[in-house]
Amino acid sequence: MDEPLPEKGPLRVLIADDSDSDRLILQAMVKRLGHDVVAAEDGFAAVEQYRVFHPHIVLLDVMMPRMDGMEAAHEIKALAGEVLVPVIFLTSLSDAGALARCLESGGDDFLPKPYNRIIIEAKINAFNRMRLMHRTLSHQRDLIHARNWQLLQEQEVAKRVFDNVAHTGCLNASNIQHHASPTSIFNGDVLFACPRPSGGMHILIGDFTGHGLPAAIGAMPVAEIFYGMTSKGFGCGDVLREINQKLKRILPTGMFCCAAFIEADFHLNCLRVWNGGLPDGYLIRGNGEREILTSNHLPLGVLSPERFAAAVDYYRTEPGDTLLFATDGILEAENADGEMFGQDRLLEALDSAEEHGSAFDAVMAGVRAFTGAHLVQDDLTIVALEMVEEEALVGLDNRTPPSALRGPASWDCSYSISDRTLGHFNPLPLLLHICMEVPGLRRRSGEVYTLLSELYTNALEHGILGLPSDWKSSPEGFGRYYAERERRLASLRGHRIEFTLHHRTSRDGGELRIVCEDSGPGFDYKDLLGPDEAQARYAGRGLGLLRQLSVSLDFKGAGNQVEVLYQWDYSEPRSQG
Amino acid sequence: MSDKPHLDEEALAELQDVMEDDFDVLIRTYIADSDERIHALRTALRNSDTDAFAKSAHSFKGSCINIGAPRLGALCSEAEMAGNEQRLERAEILLDTIETEFKTICTMLENSLES
Amino acid sequence: MAIQTRRSEDGRTLTIKIEGRFDFSTHQVFRDAYEHGDQEVIHYVIDMCETTYLDSSALGMLLLLRDYAGGDTARISIENCNNDVRRILTISNFEQLFAIQ
Repeated sequence: MDEPLPEKGPLRVLIADDSDSDRLILQAMVKRLGHDVVAAEDGFAAVEQYRVFHPHIVLLDVMMPRMDGMEAAHEIKALAGEVLVPVIFLTSLSDAGALARCLESGGDDFLPKPYNRIIIEAKINAFNRMRLMHRTLSHQRDLIHARNWQLLQEQEVAKRVFDNVAHTGCLNASNIQHHASPTSIFNGDVLFACPRPSGGMHILIGDFTGHGLPAAIGAMPVAEIFYGMTSKGFGCGDVLREINQKLKRILPTGMFCCAAFIEADFHLNCLRVWNGGLPDGYLIRGNGEREILTSNHLPLGVLSPERFAAAVDYYRTEPGDTLLFATDGILEAENADGEMFGQDRLLEALDSAEEHGSAFDAVMAGVRAFTGAHLVQDDLTIVALEMVEEEALVGLDNRTPPSALRGPASWDCSYSISDRTLGHFNPLPLLLHICMEVPGLRRRSGEVYTLLSELYTNALEHGILGLPSDWKSSPEGFGRYYAERERRLASLRGHRIEFTLHHRTSRDGGELRIVCEDSGPGFDYKDLLGPDEAQARYAGRGLGLLRQLSVSLDFKGAGNQVEVLYQWDYSEPRSQG
Repeated sequence: MSDKPHLDEEALAELQDVMEDDFDVLIRTYIADSDERIHALRTALRNSDTDAFAKSAHSFKGSCINIGAPRLGALCSEAEMAGNEQRLERAEILLDTIETEFKTICTMLENSLES
Repeated sequence: MAIQTRRSEDGRTLTIKIEGRFDFSTHQVFRDAYEHGDQEVIHYVIDMCETTYLDSSALGMLLLLRDYAGGDTARISIENCNNDVRRILTISNFEQLFAIQ
């Protein structure tokens, strides 16, 4: 690099001429201009002087003994590297070919003999301007390189931070296939998956407006809310409302996130899907039939909380059904001719799912074949979720970081909600949160959540609302069940559900007693304690699960009160089935 | 070549202005340099080395032009050309003329230094 | 890409016609098209008859115009969309916010 040089001030000028008198004259003239002169009597000495003094400008005679001017110019230019050191040949040559050779050897100009003070001054000044301009440009170029490098470093750090916050959760689950570029975050794409404490999972696939850091910034709170709330047991509606509210508040108008939210329940084998601004998703049935999951909401971060609609579509599924969502990167993937992949080719690819093994593989193969030599573009994010039997999914890693605090040992609490609140508030995350203050219970959040959730669902849906659980066994009944649930919830009066929790620790672990009481009529458990009646009240796995997880389960009162005793110790928790 | 003056008074005056106190050093350096050049030309001619002859004549020409001796410069140019064209038949006579001209301007320059 | 604006005779309707691609590169020109209009304008028409493509930043710009024109009380219609443009507006459910004709 060039050393710092004040804009005004003497230049170091190297003069090489084997004629002593010529050298004296030029030296005197350049000195009179206020510059410092270093002199050499041949090319060889000139190169040596260059190494020592690093002159700013070099004046070289062409014909000199030992090393001529052209060779010296060549060497000096090589030594100068990227720095512009103007080399001006001193010459009384008149032959055009010889003059041209001087420039070819690396010279920048000529100074004819006899020397003229005015010409010398003008040339030195002109070349000094050029030299400074070159230096400024080099400096700016280096600065741009440095800034660019710094930006890439910052992105790298930002990406690492982001990867910690917005880790991919359980995307590695055996029933998920996905593609997302490692730097997709800077394309504004997000793809998260998180197991729910009760089993099942949430998936969020989204696409922020814009590119680069601005697009990535919005993804951070989305990830925090998505993982935080999902791990605490919140349902998709709550998570969506929270994300929308947060984005609406923090993003400038004009920035938003097109997204699809999927809540998968592998026990009931059903899906809840919310699509706001993402291209059609597909639910591909085992027999190849497709249902289209069209966007029917505005993207996240557009509407105010009051206007936001978190209504989801329900789909009853069978193991083997596959859900597929992609950002618009897939429709807009371009081939060498600039054509886009488009909807028709996507459908064609889906038609060939069977021969490719899966819908996901078929779409990826389709895009690769279409874009040809092009690599699959960066801003292409796609996820496929296969519905499976609950038992097939074990040990989902949600990577939720543990807390280092010691928790409470002995505590009791009672919490009750009533009337309309039953319809629009889900108390499970709160109750789970209270239990999770106990580190020993935190490692068993799935089991605790399942207990709470089974008790609550059954108290609400069967105890109070009186919904028959067998409806859920047929596809038509499934829809009817949830429609009826909404209807009955809306007109709820004079009802309540109360949870009472008692916790004590022992030497090796602890004991959690949960009592759940509802205001419904209950049932005659004394006379009808046969398995059938109990099954009717505790749909599907309900009763069995509660019994399996707890040491005791008792009905009390009119049958509207259930007490469950759960014990834990410091051994590894059972893997959740 | 007799149309060119022995010395360019204007150029010399300017040199005197540029060199200030070093003007006589310059003149003496030029004279010593030129002696060497003429010697080199003689050697090249004796060895029939046209290339060395042309190069010496070229350098000599440069310093003559710079010092303000146009007539001697023109003679050197003629010698350079002869060397380049590899015809040294008339070089002997040309070199004599150069030497005579050099002695003339030496006298003139020394006079000007003494004055 | 070019943007042309036209005011109705009574000065109350501003028509903004977008030619070619409507994307981030249009940002400043699009803003200039409505921000320097005077207060009389109460109805905005986005004429997309010559618009070939629309990306998500363009959707963002439409939201900015909507905010400028009064948010929920804004009167903005989007007209003459081709199928591709229409598809993008539909996927994003912008018909909930704009009159798309």
